[in-house]
Amino acid sequence: MERRIAEILIQELKLENVTPDTFDVSTDLVKELGIDSMDLTTVVLVLQGEYKVKFDEDAYPALTSVRAIAEQIRQLQGMVS
Amino acid sequence: MDLTVPATTPANPSLPKGECTFADILKHPDIADRFTLVRKYFYLRESTYDMTCRCNVRCDGCYYYEGDKQNVRDNVDPEAWRKLFSAEKARGITFVVLAGAEPALVPDLLEACYGEIPLGAIASNGLVKIPEAVGYRIHISVWGDDATSERVRRAKRMLERQIEIYAGDPRAVFVYTFTRENIAEARGVVDQLAKHGCKVTFNMFSATVGYAGSLTHTPASLVDTRKAMLALLADYPEQVLFSPYSAAAHTDALSLHNLYSCPYPRQNQVQFGLGRSFRQYRSDLTWVREAACCVPDTDCADCRHYAAGSAIVTARMNRHIGSPDQFRSWLDYVDTYLAVWVQGYGKHSNLCAVPAAPSLALQNGAAR
Repeated sequence: MERRIAEILIQELKLENVTPDTFDVSTDLVKELGIDSMDLTTVVLVLQGEYKVKFDEDAYPALTSVRAIAEQIRQLQGMVS
Repeated sequence: MDLTVPATTPANPSLPKGECTFADILKHPDIADRFTLVRKYFYLRESTYDMTCRCNVRCDGCYYYEGDKQNVRDNVDPEAWRKLFSAEKARGITFVVLAGAEPALVPDLLEACYGEIPLGAIASNGLVKIPEAVGYRIHISVWGDDATSERVRRAKRMLERQIEIYAGDPRAVFVYTFTRENIAEARGVVDQLAKHGCKVTFNMFSATVGYAGSLTHTPASLVDTRKAMLALLADYPEQVLFSPYSAAAHTDALSLHNLYSCPYPRQNQVQFGLGRSFRQYRSDLTWVREAACCVPDTDCADCRHYAAGSAIVTARMNRHIGSPDQFRSWLDYVDTYLAVWVQGYGKHSNLCAVPAAPSLALQNGAAR
């Protein structure tokens, strides 16, 4: 899942010099990559469709890394199943 | 006349009826193209700055002369402002809104700011020419015809003088603020502006906290205003920078905050997006988080301000993906806001003539 999330991030935000396999899942998306809230929202919307989950807006600030996003998706899927 | 329709049937037949994914929505070519265009501006990160307590008119219902912000001592040192803007740039601010009372009265400060952060807009009453070296968008406030302006703003020949100063100036957008009392005047004003090739957008008078004057909207005036906006948009497509969804959102019975949840710090404690980055600086270079929003001291329950909507509606992209038409409505709104605020961004044709109901965004927000 983390690899797929990284792939979507790279694709949507046109990140360069990184691949899904080299993307550090702990990297802070805002502080280290400078991703803004609107771009993050775009990624969230794509992930919602991909994983059939719905993120709560209040959870957006916590989506600071690929790892954090994956954990959130797993929690939401656990709630749904 | 019902000017909105519910969200239309989603495009993806493999999903349960009523559901579509964001990816499905983006499969529509017109949506994909427009989204690709507007998302280039997602990097815009704003803050606002009151440049001076001084003004050359006195308007009934002025938001500036309410609350604590009017009582500070102006910092008039251009170097101090340059240093502030340098620091603002360093913390990631890419778009500035310079406001009042009347920023045109401090041109040296405007130049100092422009030298550090060149993207932004100035809110002015348009009676003093801002030097052309300051390349920001300039929003000229219009509250009715000249008779009304003399009565409400204590300024004679106001529109006539504004046009004399700013007609032909590519920076200028005239912002017609609809009040309860001036709806019928809008056509004459827009026609006059159109004859001079001026661009126009619309704003809604939004009462300050405790305002007891006669300009506040009623349910009936909201409906009448919406009709007037849509008629003017249809009749002056080259001059009017607006969209059907803009009209729906700004004339809804609910205020922008009650519809979409205002993301500015004044109403939002979450450290995300505007809640994290936005500041509203007073003319002494201080800022107060609890009071920070784009039009401070406005009553949030009545706020339909165009500046507020530009941030509030735009920030709620996630609440506008219930259907392709709902997302088209949002794209039209964003396209409008970019044309109004960003120098050099030209308005495109609206994608959705009959927009989704703003209340759908409220439902999408409540459903989370």
